[in-house]
Amino acid sequence: MLKKTRLAAAAAAEAPYTPVDADFVLKDNAGEIAIDTNFAAQSFWRDVLVRYLRKTSAVIGLVLILLISIMAAVGPGMNGYTYSGQELSQKNLAPRVKILEDYGIFDGSETMNTTTGSKKVNYYEEKELDDVYYWFGSDNFGRDIWTRTWSGARVSLIIAVAAAIIDMVIGMSYGLISGYFGGRVDMVMQRILEVANGIPRLVIVTLLLLVLQPGMLTIIFALMLTEWVGMSRIARAEMLKLKEQEFVLASRTLGAGSFFIIFREVLPNIIGPIITQVMFSIPTAIFTEAFLSFVGLGIPVPQCSLGSLISEGFNSFTTHPYQIVPPIVVMALLMLSFNLVADGLREALDPKMKEM
Amino acid sequence: MKKYTLKRILTSLFTLLAILLVLFILMQLMPGSPFNDEKLNDDQRLALYAKYGLDQPVVVQFFKYVGNMLKGDFGVSYNISKNTPISQLIQTRLPVSISIGGFAVAIGAVLGLILGLIAAIKHDTIWDSLATVISVIGVSVPSYVFALALSYSLGFKIGWFPMLYSAKEGFRSSVLPSVSLSMFTMASIARFTRSEMLEVLGSDYMLLAESKGISGPALIFRHALRNALIPIITVLAPLIVDLMTGSLVVEKIFAIPGVGSLLVTAIQSNDYNVVIALSFIYSAMYIGIMLVVDILYGIIDPRIRLAKEGD
Repeated sequence: MLKKTRLAAAAAAEAPYTPVDADFVLKDNAGEIAIDTNFAAQSFWRDVLVRYLRKTSAVIGLVLILLISIMAAVGPGMNGYTYSGQELSQKNLAPRVKILEDYGIFDGSETMNTTTGSKKVNYYEEKELDDVYYWFGSDNFGRDIWTRTWSGARVSLIIAVAAAIIDMVIGMSYGLISGYFGGRVDMVMQRILEVANGIPRLVIVTLLLLVLQPGMLTIIFALMLTEWVGMSRIARAEMLKLKEQEFVLASRTLGAGSFFIIFREVLPNIIGPIITQVMFSIPTAIFTEAFLSFVGLGIPVPQCSLGSLISEGFNSFTTHPYQIVPPIVVMALLMLSFNLVADGLREALDPKMKEM
Repeated sequence: MKKYTLKRILTSLFTLLAILLVLFILMQLMPGSPFNDEKLNDDQRLALYAKYGLDQPVVVQFFKYVGNMLKGDFGVSYNISKNTPISQLIQTRLPVSISIGGFAVAIGAVLGLILGLIAAIKHDTIWDSLATVISVIGVSVPSYVFALALSYSLGFKIGWFPMLYSAKEGFRSSVLPSVSLSMFTMASIARFTRSEMLEVLGSDYMLLAESKGISGPALIFRHALRNALIPIITVLAPLIVDLMTGSLVVEKIFAIPGVGSLLVTAIQSNDYNVVIALSFIYSAMYIGIMLVVDILYGIIDPRIRLAKEGD
């Protein structure tokens, strides 16, 4: 750019230049000037909140989690059906919703594929069930899929959140203690951790569930045994970073004991990465639970979780695809949203951190 | 290097031993005894115990058991196919699983690298956002959801690929399972490649290379990617292990006669011997992969080795 202007100037020196009006107009640089913004001093958490809300995907994730949680709480009670109530005369009915049926969708008809071709059938009309509405359809035993999907989401969420929180407590304490004391204690604790990490999670969980009574508590226990390793690594790394700092030394000089320093001085300073890790471990727990249900080691019938619903729907997913869609969509959305929230939190809590 | 390798091998062996101990304890905890036929009297029962070595102290039993497992003698199956040695059951199934898993790793690694590269080179454009969206979905949606979606759409509705695995159409029928398994690998590698590449692209030596006049593919592949690749190898190991987990359900969905579906069937029919044998094989493979990757990584990047030796 500069060169060109100089050339133009040289050319202008030869031939006398007559200025035009355009030469005396101010440059239109309103877009380039950044207006300084003043920040009032604000607390760390307020800052985090502002950064979090700026990230659209994280906000969407949070809204989705809230929506699904609310539906998991109130959804099963929204119609007259119960999650275990069977009506064998009304099995395998396609979704039908009151107002939408007038528009030709969710009107209870489904396309059947037979050897002679496909045809559209409506079992509601064939069986003369005029007043019966299954919003998501009904399953192989005539149970309402709407109710089952949301009570399944409730079970899955409870398992995942409980497992993640217990993992947090165990892993965090293990990592903090190992990191704080260092030396021989750390060596022994890390060797134990290496061995524990070397055992595939899947194997432990499967074997435990074979030996113990299946049920919600057993699943939480099995997840608890396997997921704490990642958390303890993070807690240890943070502890190693912080324990040489002055505030720890100050606290020790004032006579604080190890327990006080670990949990009252250091812990509040590392709460950010720990919450992020919890958010990341929830989808893992949901996935593991779904996997266990699919294999047949999950929640015992007639209770259901998202995983067991998917595994039931799988048996008839070519003939009645609508049965597997709701649990799959809810689970995929849940896992996606928890990942989005965790990503957003990580960035909001530590803006300097390397982008992943 | 020798010291580091030796230490890693020892840790791995110890872990394997710990797993065997856990498996052994679980075997003891399993309800019932193999000889609970009411027609047997006490003498006969004792004779049977003696024959199978069950009268010896637990410690002796344990070491015998360890020896047998390491030799590949896993006992016989009770329910799935009566009295067939488990090693024989596994022998026919392992190659199928490994080929599908390998295919999935290959697809995932190649596609993930491409996706991550595009995202990093076209940083902050629509391509970057697109790659990010794909990788977030790939990381958070479980592999069997992809498996079901693919088998319904491409297998059942359109019919491009067979819905179920068959040995006759080995390649064509392993496309869908491999693709659905590879999604997670692809997404994770894409995310990792992107962040590593961004870091490398912003480094001083890239500026130097650029100002020396290197440009285009040579710049990206010779100078940037080679440096970004090293850390990517480390994520590959846990990914392969995740793949093994995913393969259980995916094998079930596509009816693949591999070890994953064998494990699922064994769990469902309470065939403890098979479950324990497969758990052992899974653990051994897992430990083996971790060991190889750790050692490889130590060779490639001396900083890691030195840091760990300093521990």
